[in-house]
Amino acid sequence: MSESITITLSGRIDSNNAPEIEKQIFEQIGNGTDMPIVLDAQDLQYISSAGLRVLLRIRKSHPDMRITGVTSEVYEILDMTGFTELFKVEKAYRVVSVEGCEEIGRGANGRIYRIDQDNVVKVYKNAGALEDIQHEREVAKLALILGIPTAISYDVVKVGDSYGSVFELLNARSFSKILKNEPEKLDWCVEEFVKMLKKIHGTLVPRGKLLDMKEIALSWATFMRDYLPKEAGEKLHRLIDAVPHDDHMIHGDYHTKNLELQNDEILLIDMDTLAVGHPIFELGSIYNSFQGFSELDHEIVKNYQGFDYELATEFWHKALALYLGTNSEKKIKEVEDKARIIGYTRLIRRAIRRNGLETEKGQKEIAHWKAELCELLEKTDTLLFLRSELEVEATDENLKTVLSFIESHLNEIDCPPKAQMQIGLAAEEIFVNIAHYAYAPEKGKATVRVEVTEEPVSVTITFMDHGVPYDPLKKSDPDVTLSADERDVGGLGIFLTKKVMDDVAYEYRGGQNILSLKKNL
Amino acid sequence: MKARIPVLDLHMHTTVSDGTDTLEALLAHVKAAGIELFSVTDHDAIEGCRHVLAIRTEGDPAFLPGIEFSCRDEEGQYHILGYGYDPDAEAINAVVNKGHAFRMRKVTGRLDFLKERFGYVFTEEDVDRLLSLPNPGKPHIGNLMVQYGYAKTKEEAITEYINQAEFRDQYVRPEDAIQGILKSGGIPVLAHPPYGSGDQLILGEVLENRVKKLMGFGLLGVEAFYSGFTQKLRNGVLALAKQYDLYVTAGSDYHGSNKLIPLGDTGLDGTTEIPAGLTAFLQAIKP
Repeated sequence: MSESITITLSGRIDSNNAPEIEKQIFEQIGNGTDMPIVLDAQDLQYISSAGLRVLLRIRKSHPDMRITGVTSEVYEILDMTGFTELFKVEKAYRVVSVEGCEEIGRGANGRIYRIDQDNVVKVYKNAGALEDIQHEREVAKLALILGIPTAISYDVVKVGDSYGSVFELLNARSFSKILKNEPEKLDWCVEEFVKMLKKIHGTLVPRGKLLDMKEIALSWATFMRDYLPKEAGEKLHRLIDAVPHDDHMIHGDYHTKNLELQNDEILLIDMDTLAVGHPIFELGSIYNSFQGFSELDHEIVKNYQGFDYELATEFWHKALALYLGTNSEKKIKEVEDKARIIGYTRLIRRAIRRNGLETEKGQKEIAHWKAELCELLEKTDTLLFLRSELEVEATDENLKTVLSFIESHLNEIDCPPKAQMQIGLAAEEIFVNIAHYAYAPEKGKATVRVEVTEEPVSVTITFMDHGVPYDPLKKSDPDVTLSADERDVGGLGIFLTKKVMDDVAYEYRGGQNILSLKKNL
Repeated sequence: MKARIPVLDLHMHTTVSDGTDTLEALLAHVKAAGIELFSVTDHDAIEGCRHVLAIRTEGDPAFLPGIEFSCRDEEGQYHILGYGYDPDAEAINAVVNKGHAFRMRKVTGRLDFLKERFGYVFTEEDVDRLLSLPNPGKPHIGNLMVQYGYAKTKEEAITEYINQAEFRDQYVRPEDAIQGILKSGGIPVLAHPPYGSGDQLILGEVLENRVKKLMGFGLLGVEAFYSGFTQKLRNGVLALAKQYDLYVTAGSDYHGSNKLIPLGDTGLDGTTEIPAGLTAFLQAIKP
């Protein structure tokens, strides 16, 4: 497997044993091998100049040698004598203990502990930890470049037999902790939680940089075929297969322990599960965090998140409603059911893989999730759902996409044709305005959000862009008595919009023009 | 200075001290390695140089008599190289004899110590054989201990038993070695300066003070090209040579097959810029 020869150095190397050690080393690497030599110096406490000369002679016959796990004492000697310039020297990992440290997070691959006021360490539990650390570092960097606020690890340390990566997280508190201690902040937490979630799902990831969640979900479905009735198994596979490929980011393990409030900034952590895919996969995993895991044992969420199952239920419901931009229980339930299909699939597979079929508790859980899953599969025909937001390049060509996006929402709530036409007219006016003026002469993006309320039934359409600040409502209403040539461009459109909508509001916030149109139905 | 200098190696050992090549074998190896100027620098011994002078024939590489004195004073240990001395001069022979006497006293002292402290005794025959070696020392006692089963390895014998006794005053002092070399027409040079007597690490100001002190005794040069140096160490020694106007020498510290140092491995090759101190040294040793 390894393409190198590793030789372990230990204890002291000085003039007493240097010749013997040198002989042994050259016996090991003899045979005219071309493989790179790696000297593992983890247990090397001291090296005298006689030892240095041994290293030098290895270097002379094997110029690509390197030495790893060097303690700081030995490193100092190598540095002073110029040996660090001669070959690659990798320092030993600092040893950190997490005994008695507060656990602030738990992810798929490890646990996160606060080691002091300013720093946390994520301890990986698996054998290939160094590769995982490297992976998480890379994806976290990518996320940061793409605009997701996150912490990047700055050091790799040894924790017991495993490895950990250290992050700076100053005075940060997780959302779980906030909810536990100040449940009155529930609404604020939901808002920020959803805001971040939308930000993640609105982030386009260059192809090939992250795993495709759909492929992973398909592998789950394949696994599940052996454990589900034939028909259900096939349907599960079919439903997942029908989810279109999506290059937008998903976190993969999004819950309140992975959101940290640092001063006024909200940071996303535990990035190793970052992937791309349709948001339904994310919703499935969020459902599990707040509901799925704890359906039969409500203590589970309490032990893990710190708040009780009732609050978890409320949080999930509010977050989903906000994410979907609706307070229609029917719509929320519909999407929740789709999320549960993904959620239960994950839970059953996980439980089986952890030998759940061999314990009574496991059997009970699996039976429960399986029954729920089969029932859901029977009544579900697609995992897709109407998203509340659409982000597009603000161009005339995309007008059609925007209008059909709004139309699908209006169809869902059986909007009367007249109102539908008026809304379409107003939306066209606003979007074309953004396309022509917001970024001119450059191009830029626009986001369209559709929110629906029941009792009284209303629809709110919000347009957001990062173009030049411009409040169209400030424009005085045009003099409709003037001829077409004499009128200001766009003035008439805004006039019409104001007329047909029940409420029109503008604000400039966070570098964005935000224009909302509300229509009571 | 871009003048061509001979291919040289001025630091090597033979069976006269702790090397594995006989003088004849060494001469053959030197020739095979394409070395044009060499010096034999056995520890505390000059008889090898006398012998080389006797066996050299027309067309052999140029030879410079050498020696490496192991010295010690209150402040540490030093290896002082001596070059181009007259092997028949009284002064250098006196230092060599003194060194040999110290060595013998240390060997018998160590044997006494092993007997008293650990009850390790050796047959009279083995002791005689030990004392008749040209340069008996800790490794030879160590080997004997392994033979007797007193220790598992030579290393263990030295670190666990032999080193328990110290004979700090039984060494040639650096001023005696330097003066002996000078009085015999030779050039005293500090061997591998940052490595002390071979196994220390002496750098920066400590090294500079050490060189200044030895210059006070008459030291004239430093070994700046050495098989065991990195570029950083070499540059440090070259800077000292330049600052104090010292001769510069180059040597491998070849020991034959018991250390894996090739002959001629000094860090000096066709691409190296020749420092003024080395050119001056080569001038100084011309007959």
